[in-house]
Amino acid sequence: MELLDLSFFTSAIRMISPILLAALGGALCARVGIFNVGLEGLILAGAFSAIVGNYYSGSVLVAVLVGALGSVLVSLLFGLAAIRLKANPIVAGIAINFLVLGLTTFGLRAIFDVKGAFYDKNMEGLPKLDIPVIEGIPVVGKLLSGHSPLVYIAFLAGILLYIFFYRTVTGFRVLAVGKNEAAARSLGLKVTVLQYGAIVACGILCGLAGAQLSLGQVTMFTEGMTAGRGFIALVAMMLGQSHPIGIVGSSLLFGLMDALSIRLQGFSMPTQFTAMLPYIITIIAMFFLKDRGADSQLSGQQSSR
Amino acid sequence: MNLQRKLQQLLRSLVQPLTAVLIGLLTGAVAISIVGASVLETYKVMWDGAFGNFYFVTATLARATPIILIGLGLAIAFRAGVFNMGAEGQMVLGAVSAALAALYVPGSGIIKMLSALVAGFLAGGLWSLLAGWMETRFKVQLLISTLLLNYVAVLFAGYLVSSPFQDKSGSAALAQTHMIDQAAWLPKLFQGMSVHMGFVIAIVLAIILYIILRFTSAGYEVRMLGYNPFFAEYGGINKIKVLLFSMFFSGGIAGLAGTVEVLGSQYRYVEGSLTVPGYAWTGLMAALLANSNPLGTAVAAIMLAALQTGAMGMERNTEVPLEIASVIQGVLILFVTAKITMNWWKVKKKAGDIHGAA
Amino acid sequence: MTYRLEMKEMTKKYGEFLANDEVSIQLKKGEVLAIVGENGAGKTTLMRMLYGLEQPTSGEIKLNGKTVKFSGPLDAIENGIGMVHQHFMLFSDFSVTENIVIGHEPKRNGFFDRKEAAEKVKALSEQYKIHVNPLKKAGDCSIGEQQRIEILKVLYQGADIIILDEPTAVLTPIEVEELLKTIQFLAEQGKSIILITHKLPEVMKVSGQITVLRNGKVTGNVLKQNTDIEQLATLMVGRELQKLTDRNQLEGEPLLVIDNLNIGVKEAKPILDHLSLTVNRGEIVGIAGVSGNGQSELIQAISGLRKIDSGSIRLGETILNGKSVAYIRNAGLAHIPEDRYLWGAAKEASVEETGLMGYYRKKKFNQSSFIRLNGFRKLVRGWIERFEIKTTSLDEKSGNLSGGNLQKLIVARELGFETDFLIAAEPTRGVDIGAMEYIHEAIIAKRNNGDGILLVSSELTEILTLSDRIAVMYEGKIVDILDRNDATEERLSVLMAGGNENESSTKTTTTA
Repeated sequence: MELLDLSFFTSAIRMISPILLAALGGALCARVGIFNVGLEGLILAGAFSAIVGNYYSGSVLVAVLVGALGSVLVSLLFGLAAIRLKANPIVAGIAINFLVLGLTTFGLRAIFDVKGAFYDKNMEGLPKLDIPVIEGIPVVGKLLSGHSPLVYIAFLAGILLYIFFYRTVTGFRVLAVGKNEAAARSLGLKVTVLQYGAIVACGILCGLAGAQLSLGQVTMFTEGMTAGRGFIALVAMMLGQSHPIGIVGSSLLFGLMDALSIRLQGFSMPTQFTAMLPYIITIIAMFFLKDRGADSQLSGQQSSR
Repeated sequence: MNLQRKLQQLLRSLVQPLTAVLIGLLTGAVAISIVGASVLETYKVMWDGAFGNFYFVTATLARATPIILIGLGLAIAFRAGVFNMGAEGQMVLGAVSAALAALYVPGSGIIKMLSALVAGFLAGGLWSLLAGWMETRFKVQLLISTLLLNYVAVLFAGYLVSSPFQDKSGSAALAQTHMIDQAAWLPKLFQGMSVHMGFVIAIVLAIILYIILRFTSAGYEVRMLGYNPFFAEYGGINKIKVLLFSMFFSGGIAGLAGTVEVLGSQYRYVEGSLTVPGYAWTGLMAALLANSNPLGTAVAAIMLAALQTGAMGMERNTEVPLEIASVIQGVLILFVTAKITMNWWKVKKKAGDIHGAA
Repeated sequence: MTYRLEMKEMTKKYGEFLANDEVSIQLKKGEVLAIVGENGAGKTTLMRMLYGLEQPTSGEIKLNGKTVKFSGPLDAIENGIGMVHQHFMLFSDFSVTENIVIGHEPKRNGFFDRKEAAEKVKALSEQYKIHVNPLKKAGDCSIGEQQRIEILKVLYQGADIIILDEPTAVLTPIEVEELLKTIQFLAEQGKSIILITHKLPEVMKVSGQITVLRNGKVTGNVLKQNTDIEQLATLMVGRELQKLTDRNQLEGEPLLVIDNLNIGVKEAKPILDHLSLTVNRGEIVGIAGVSGNGQSELIQAISGLRKIDSGSIRLGETILNGKSVAYIRNAGLAHIPEDRYLWGAAKEASVEETGLMGYYRKKKFNQSSFIRLNGFRKLVRGWIERFEIKTTSLDEKSGNLSGGNLQKLIVARELGFETDFLIAAEPTRGVDIGAMEYIHEAIIAKRNNGDGILLVSSELTEILTLSDRIAVMYEGKIVDILDRNDATEERLSVLMAGGNENESSTKTTTTA
């Protein structure tokens, strides 16, 4: 087996999408001044709801929509605590992670009456999209074509978010809220509405990330199947400085590392060290980048309350 | 008069956590009714599972032991005003170092045990100190760096016990160290019960920390740093020193949490044995619930442990799944820092403060 | 005729506290109305109600004869009311243009049209003769420029009534002149201006009508031509000011000696530039200067909070430079900080804990690192009595004290160290007259006791009342040192703006 062959890159691209989607969602929250540690929980909620939707409707489209909806509901709960009830967002985010882990495992028992994992062979996964022209090109075609629609949506979301932030009026105001909430309020900008908007959008993006996880490769749900991807997304968001293009870049890096560590298992090399790489790279990067995206809200989070 | 005011203050400070507990239990009740069980009966079974007889009480206390220690470690950091999210990594490194020290330090059982305790404390403390140093020296945000260092620590420990120090004697090659010599074990408190000496260590530490924070100048410096670092610096407190010390002890105690688990109940380091039960996160919740008061943290840790052991009992005896516990916990924490009850009252008061004449 | 704005019998209650008690004002087109009063007189509350940030308990707001009700700033803005806040509400990462158009951004095809925005801003800036650079980042603009952005912003929003909240507090004398001209020009263009301030000379320069507030009530409503500064001051304070205790003549030896101090030598503009200064025993040396000319850094350097590049600082025989804060305090320095909430206290800490800072290290209150609270409580109770600090108990959170009471607590704490030397930075900022008199008395008493005091204040009156000698700082240098008897507000103003000392002073006493 080659170390870096084509399938390595295709698998990297596939692995990127949940991280990228969730990191973009996290960036939206960060941009309105809410540091969202609950991405892990939101993805998990999306993954579970998508399976539920799939099982009951039999339609992949409905499944994805239900996945997004499930994640949005949890996200709104987070918003309620962090915005309306003024809870410390970091604490609320941690709570969301726990809550969703409990709720989904509980749901497995209550809805499907299974423990650990749920799989039904009648469930249909996400289709593979073959892109007409590109498909035909050698190498590139293999690399870029034949992924699930959510993979394309993830990259599209990055571009759209960039346009939103830097070309539209609403995006401009979103940035303003994150930079100086008091000033935004004094101008009469609807700060709370923008914050909830970001929370909902973050829910949708994380829901899609979850759907990609549970419907993308194997159509099944396992307890805690996010396995820290939410935190990786958080790290990708910080490394990308909450800038959509930066996040696409950092997610690519993480996807590659992820794929690399899986690939290295076949080479009898300790995978732990390759798995460590993204985290170490991020730590090193933090020496050089003074994170502007998350800076303002973190400085206010000094104490435990 | 003074006593009455103190009492009032105490009650007021309890309103918030109690409301959160209530909301948590209510959510649990809803979940229980969804699976079609009787709420009261289920909660009764849960209570019995945690405190029903002496055996269950000791099991709860045994589970609480690492949680208390983690919570105490975090409470120090929180008091000093830093959000240490790295308890998991600090605990795991502490545990693996303790296991290796107990295995490879020559000498009698007691020497092995002591060197394991020291190694566990140092490993956790130094790992935590690294994050503190990066914060003070290079302004690398501690909240993020500790989170990242968790992964590095857990993976590194995983590497140690899956390659160089793996116990290959078992039939299934699990990622774990060899078993520690029995002479180096922390003694059980009661014959046949799971609670061990680590629990006593945790409680004593809680009391000591309470006294230090409340009555000594070192504690005063830590608290003032947490309240307002500028004020602390202005008053002549060495900000960097206090922060680094706090981080060292914070991580050291987290390392100790891993150490007592290894010496008192696992007798070896097994990969995942500390991370899967989520001790670190539960300890974080205990510290948050108690607003970083060491004694309160110990109480909250025991409560959370009881919730978990109770849920296990519930799962054994009813159809209700175990995960109710994490649902309740999640809701509890979600609302613990929320300004629910006194929201309205506080806003009014604040307005008055701003405009009140001197 | 109908007024453009009328506020009738506005009352605002916070619990039992009456912030505004039946306050009424009227404002015509093209008029400048000054609202003056001490801190806590209720000026800000009144304006917050007008701007929709607070709801009145009772009262009526009429615009052009029609009763209106504002539920938020947006309502106020839509009705042609604009506010320039005391603390600027700017986005430092955004461009000047973006800061001005935000909230009413020009769009093309649904997208933000930044080009058109910049053109609009340019046109507006020319129309009102308010100069800004539309493409510069707001964070890179000077304070005066930032204020111009704020004024353009409210004009862009279409304001006819412009509220300026303490606009001159942060400006240099020259910038103040410019601002006053702008205000007059805007009034000539038909805008109505409300000027909130406690600086009476400025009021006399630009306003037509003056409303004086005290303790939430209107104590006077006069036209400029019928009044003078003395009358306004009496209306503001409500009584004659107490005369300060006499100062006895003291000839003290040098106590604090700063020699050739430099900070920030590597930057484009040094923060402290070859600064030398001596404070003698039994002397108050006042530092005058527009804020941001190195005063804060000088204080921080002396007290050990900031590293210096070169130079020396001595207190008596002890060298202070390069030493820790604790060491310096131990050597005989106490320090009333310029910002009580940032440096001087912790809001979450109790009154007792805030008072304990520094004392917990003293042998008297520290027994093998356990704090002896009982002895210390006696001391704090003494302060509370002597300075009449209003607090419910020693366990009250410092943040719950009013600004004046917290300041008195901090002053009591720092005086309580009984050191030879005291830094008093903005010792009375934002406190009421009563607290101010207490604090001034205490500082004079310390001086008469033979201790040395370095006073830093942005209020020239405070500098002039207290100081024996006055050093003027400009761009990190001490440009001149005047004797108490030679200093006047006018002369200091010229020096503070960087004016040539030789032209302005006949006799200079420079201590190097």
